[in-house]
Amino acid sequence: MASSRVITHPLSRRQILKGGAALGLGSAAALGLRPSWANPWGQTNIYSKGIEVGPEVSLAIRRESIPIDGKEARPFSINGTSPGPMIRLKEGQDAVLRVTNLLDEPTSIHWHGLILPPGMDGVPGVSFPGIAPGETFTYRFPVHQNGTYWYHSHSGLQEQLGHAGPLIIDAAEREPFRYDREHVLLLTDWTFEDPMSVFRNLKTAEGYYNFQERTIADFFADVREKGLSATAEMRGMWAKMRMSSRDIADVTGSTYSYLLNGHSPEENWTALFQAGERVRLRVINGSAMSYFDLRIPGLKMTVVSADGQPVQPVPVDEFRIGVAETYDVLVTPEDDSAYTIFAEAMDRSGYARATLAPREGMAAEIPERRKIADRGMEAMGAHDMEGVEHAEMERGADGDREGMDHSTMQGMDHSNMQGMSGERSRMNANGMLAAGAAQPGSRYDQAGIGIDSGERRVLVYRDLKAFTPWPDRREPERELELHLTGNMERYMWSFDGKKFSEVTGPIRFNKNERLRLILVNDTMMEHPIHLHGMWMELENGQGELIPRKHTLNVKPGERVSALITADAEGSWAFHCHLLYHMDAGMFRVVKVA
Amino acid sequence: MRKMLLALVLGLTTTTAFAAGQHDASHAATSEADVDRTIRVEAGDMWFDPEGIEVAPGETIRFEITNTGNIEHEFVIGDAQAQEAHREMMQEMDGSHGDGHEGHGGHDMAEGAHGGEMPAVTIAPGETAELVWTAPGNVERLEYACNLPGHYESGMSGNIDIRE
Repeated sequence: MASSRVITHPLSRRQILKGGAALGLGSAAALGLRPSWANPWGQTNIYSKGIEVGPEVSLAIRRESIPIDGKEARPFSINGTSPGPMIRLKEGQDAVLRVTNLLDEPTSIHWHGLILPPGMDGVPGVSFPGIAPGETFTYRFPVHQNGTYWYHSHSGLQEQLGHAGPLIIDAAEREPFRYDREHVLLLTDWTFEDPMSVFRNLKTAEGYYNFQERTIADFFADVREKGLSATAEMRGMWAKMRMSSRDIADVTGSTYSYLLNGHSPEENWTALFQAGERVRLRVINGSAMSYFDLRIPGLKMTVVSADGQPVQPVPVDEFRIGVAETYDVLVTPEDDSAYTIFAEAMDRSGYARATLAPREGMAAEIPERRKIADRGMEAMGAHDMEGVEHAEMERGADGDREGMDHSTMQGMDHSNMQGMSGERSRMNANGMLAAGAAQPGSRYDQAGIGIDSGERRVLVYRDLKAFTPWPDRREPERELELHLTGNMERYMWSFDGKKFSEVTGPIRFNKNERLRLILVNDTMMEHPIHLHGMWMELENGQGELIPRKHTLNVKPGERVSALITADAEGSWAFHCHLLYHMDAGMFRVVKVA
Repeated sequence: MRKMLLALVLGLTTTTAFAAGQHDASHAATSEADVDRTIRVEAGDMWFDPEGIEVAPGETIRFEITNTGNIEHEFVIGDAQAQEAHREMMQEMDGSHGDGHEGHGGHDMAEGAHGGEMPAVTIAPGETAELVWTAPGNVERLEYACNLPGHYESGMSGNIDIRE
């Protein structure tokens, strides 16, 4: 087995002791089955679904009966587990990943966030033909990066049924933090329904999974608070957008079981530590459709990495993780007690939960779930957003951009948004905003709907700051603006009002150009936008220290931008990472030539 | 194993002086002649090398701290409690120091718990700063730390064990 390979690192006596401690305390599931090892910076290699250590790894994809949350289920499995095992590579290696399809349908694996040759990216129809039943495809690529990533199927809706796993790449050089122990926390949303029928339900009945719709009781409560005319007006606006103000998520806890490392809240997966240790938690949102708000009551978390890339440390109490994003956080539990890792679904319809404890079998209190947020509150100016509300209302949600009033976009420039006035004056020679400046209409100082930054310190995009400037310091030569569009009622999702099936050709990037991609969200939902093959440098106002991401969360009505160095020749997928949005048409091919 | 131990010894670039004269543990100005030992400390992103030191009570140390990282760091000496208080204050102030802590590489004091003062120095990337300090005789353990938001939490601290 690949995982039995001995990793040769010079170990000091102290690190050997640490390794021993890890062995003595390690997850019972992993112990005895998997070796534990430590490297000079204190990594421990424990993951409850098993580990495959590179550079050569073989993966077998099956569909089999594996109980989930104690109930009968038929997920996709990778080497016999679902979600799949952790794949562990090392920066500088030449990875050889053999994927064997033991299904009766085609499959694929995409290495999310990895910079690699286009033929190795794993998107059927874009990078390669896919892996036919009975076939083995060998992915070969040099590993030029490190950090926390993940892998998943890019075929149909397979990802929904556990066809995913963590991909961890150890750094060749010292990382900008130290720690004694690490754990991977992979968040997923499992359904016992057939994903095809979930998709059909969404297409035929908007709000099918939304049992938190406003009721007549809410209406009277609103009338009491806001008066009759304001209430009626608000309801009218939402009706016009063919949405409900409680469309926080389109697939909810009414069908989903939220899992952490494949385990339900009741199963209480436990991550172990010794008091006083600094623990690195590698958090991956491998969900199909669910954003999570994660906190560990009683512990401050220090965010040290976003999407696998190191960032200057940010101490927080809670952070929101969009679908496909990853964050690494450090925690230092000082006492010998248990802590709840609480990842609440953004729409508050459920949660994933695990426990951080010095021993197996311990538990801490589970926080009360918060109430569902109401998008009406956000749009009605609860966040200094005068101007935005009108823009959002007039744009509607049907992807019809003709009716959009661009003058209201101008209006937003004067609204009270943090740090904008200074940046607006910084234009480059082409009359564009200077590299790294935040676009007017961005809300990088807000975490998003239903999360109260007054109550506790919450991570926002504005906090993310690299240690050093990324290598390409060129100003953008060109701007490319794309609108995120959709029709909730007909469950049509698209870019610029056109579904993938309706577009004639790819989005073209000129080879080696420096490009600014502007994303304007015309819908009232969050969209995690993922570009394959190239980094997106999120222009969050941090100047030359803007962070590098593979997935950008774009909030409703928001306008965000990223700089891209188009150095990866070939065809790449570009899409919303909400699985059913992608399948409904929010997908494009980017061609770099 | 031998190679590794050698690396460890080299990593601790301390030069021991033979003199271990009597000093009182105050922060009074200390002349060059009073320094018993120079300890070189590397402040990187986000660590100190060495990760811990041992000193004798009353020993006067000249710390030479070189910032080999990409961002600003500080080097503050105090007990764990005072460090935590300073850290909380820094976080509230969003990382900026108060009065008298603006200059890079200058000697300074950081405010700890109960208004107590801790020897402190701020070091810009690429720069080296000095801090002369005499170990008190009445405590067994202090910490050196960088309390800029998130830095201590990322690993920028070390223990000073004070024993004969």
